[in-house]
Amino acid sequence: MMLEQKATITSHQKIAPRVFLMAFASPQMAAQASPGQFVHLKPSAPGPLLLRRPFSINRVEGKNIFIMYRVVGRGTSLISSLPKGTEIDVLGPLGNGFEISRKYQEHVLLAGGMGLAPMQFLAGRLKAMKLESRFFYGCSCKKELLPCPTPGKVIATDDGSCGHKGFVTDAFLSRIDKFKKPVVYACGPWPMLRRTALICRQHHIDCQVSLEAFMACGVGACQGCVVKGVKEYVTVCRQGPVFDSREIDWEQESGL
Amino acid sequence: MKDIRTKNVDVSVEIAGIKMRNPVLAASGTFGYGTEYLPLVSPALFGAVITKTITLLPRAGNKPPRIYETPGGMLNSIGLANVGAKKFLAEKLPELLSRHPVVIVNIAGNTMEEYVELAGLLKGRPGISGIELNISCPNVRQGGVAFGSDPVQAARLTALVKKAIDQPLIVKLSPNVADIAAIARAVEQAGADAISLINTLYGMAVDIEKQKPVLGNVTGGLSGPAVKPVALYNVFKAGRAVKIPVIGLGGIMNSADAVEFLLAGAAAVQIGTASFVNPGTVKEIVNGLKDYCLKKGYSKVSQITGKLAL
Repeated sequence: MMLEQKATITSHQKIAPRVFLMAFASPQMAAQASPGQFVHLKPSAPGPLLLRRPFSINRVEGKNIFIMYRVVGRGTSLISSLPKGTEIDVLGPLGNGFEISRKYQEHVLLAGGMGLAPMQFLAGRLKAMKLESRFFYGCSCKKELLPCPTPGKVIATDDGSCGHKGFVTDAFLSRIDKFKKPVVYACGPWPMLRRTALICRQHHIDCQVSLEAFMACGVGACQGCVVKGVKEYVTVCRQGPVFDSREIDWEQESGL
Repeated sequence: MKDIRTKNVDVSVEIAGIKMRNPVLAASGTFGYGTEYLPLVSPALFGAVITKTITLLPRAGNKPPRIYETPGGMLNSIGLANVGAKKFLAEKLPELLSRHPVVIVNIAGNTMEEYVELAGLLKGRPGISGIELNISCPNVRQGGVAFGSDPVQAARLTALVKKAIDQPLIVKLSPNVADIAAIARAVEQAGADAISLINTLYGMAVDIEKQKPVLGNVTGGLSGPAVKPVALYNVFKAGRAVKIPVIGLGGIMNSADAVEFLLAGAAAVQIGTASFVNPGTVKEIVNGLKDYCLKKGYSKVSQITGKLAL
C-alpha cells in the first residue's frame, strides 16, 4: 500500500564518483517494500525542486530503506547535498517489482551500470528464499565499478580493466547453455536491456526488465512516464517499472 | 493546534448549479480517472474531480518523453492519452463514482462533430455533474487549442455542445491567445455556464548534448508555479469580462495562492501540478482557506471571491 511519509536520512555517502548511497528511516515502507519497487522523493523543505524524483529501492535493512543513485541532473545534484538528519518527503513503495517464482531453477540477475541499484535487493530476497541465483554485473571500466556486497558475481567491463572483457550481456551469453530452467532479471541502460531481451527471446528464457523514465505523479495519474509496449503505451510508474520483456517494444529509442 | 472556530466557516460553493463541498477541484489530466491516488487521497476530498480529458475513441497520446521539469514548472506533452468514451463510461466512471465525489468530465475531439457526439453520450448520465470543454490543449494537432484561440470557433463549439448536454457546461480556456476577454465573452454569449482557466502555456526545452528537443512531441505545455502570474492575470481579465463564474488554475501550490485567485475573481480553483508534488495539497488548501476566512471575518469562503481592492 502506498504511503506518504516524512522520513529522516540516517546515512548518506558518496560511494563512487558521482554515485551516492542514502538510507532513510521508514519502518512501514521497509516492511512492505519488495525488490524492483521504487520510492518517489523530495526534500521536505521548500526549495528549487518542483517534482519528486523516483529511485529504485537498493535494499532494506531493518527500518532503513537504501537508495543508490548517480548524480545526473539538477534533482539528483540537489538531493546528493542533503546531509544525514535531513527530513525528506517520501511517497512509496510504488510500482510493481520483480515476480519471483519457484518454477524456475536458476535466477539470473543482469545489472548494467547504475542498473545495479535494484538488483542488490533482489539478490538478497532470492537468497533469503533459498533460491539459486547467478549475478552478472557490468560497467564501462574498473574505476566505474560500484561497491556491491553480493558475493560470487561475474564482472564484465567494456574495456576489460576488470573481469570479463565486453558487455555484461556477452558474459551472460557465453554461459547461457549452462543454466537450468532459468529466469532472467535485468536492469541497466536501454541498449543493454534490449540486447538482454533479444537473447532471452532467442533462447526462450523468461525475462523481466526494470525500466526508468522521467516521472511526475508516480502513481499512474498523469501518463507522463510511458514507454511503448507491444500493444500500447505503458506507464513505467504504475504498470512497471518491472515488465516482462516481451511486453516492451524494443525498437523504440530510449527517451533518457 | 487547529482553531476549532474554523468549523464555523462554510467552505461549500455552488458553481453553475453544481454544489461542491469546497472550492478546490482536481484539474483535468493531473488526477487521472480519480482513483489512482487511493488510498492516499480520496477523490471525495475535492470540491469536484475533473477527469482526464475523454475523447470519443481511445487515444494513445504523444511519443515520450512526455514530462520534463523546468525552473519552477514542468512541461508536459501527454497528448490527451485516454481510454476513450466507451471504456470510460463502462469502467472508469463507475469506479470513480463508488467513492462519491462530484464528477465533472473533461472532453475533447478532433472535430466539432466529435465533440458533439461525445457530449451526447454523456447527456443524462447519472453521476456526471458537469462537463468541462477542453478547447485549450496545446499538445494535439487537431481540436484542442485550435478551437480555443478564435472567439467565433470557440462560441460555435460551445453552443453546439451546450445543446447536446443537460449538465452545466464549463469551458476551459487557453492563455495562448491575444485577447482572453474576447474569448471569455464569446463563450459566455454562446451559453457557457462557467469558464475555467488557464490551461498550460506553450513551451519547450532542448537537450544540448543530443541537440534535440527534450520532449518527444518537440513542444509541450508549461504548468506549475512558474505560470501563476500569467494565470492570475488571465483570470482577472476574463473575470472582469463575464458574469458567469470563473474557475482559476495555474500554478496553485498552497492556500495563499488559492486566495490570490479567489480575490482576483475566481469562484473556485483547480490544482494540478501541486498534486504531483504533494498529493495531500487539497486538504492543506481547504484548511488554509478556512483559516483565512476566520482571520478576515468571513463566514463563507465565497465571500473572498472578487474582493480585490483596485
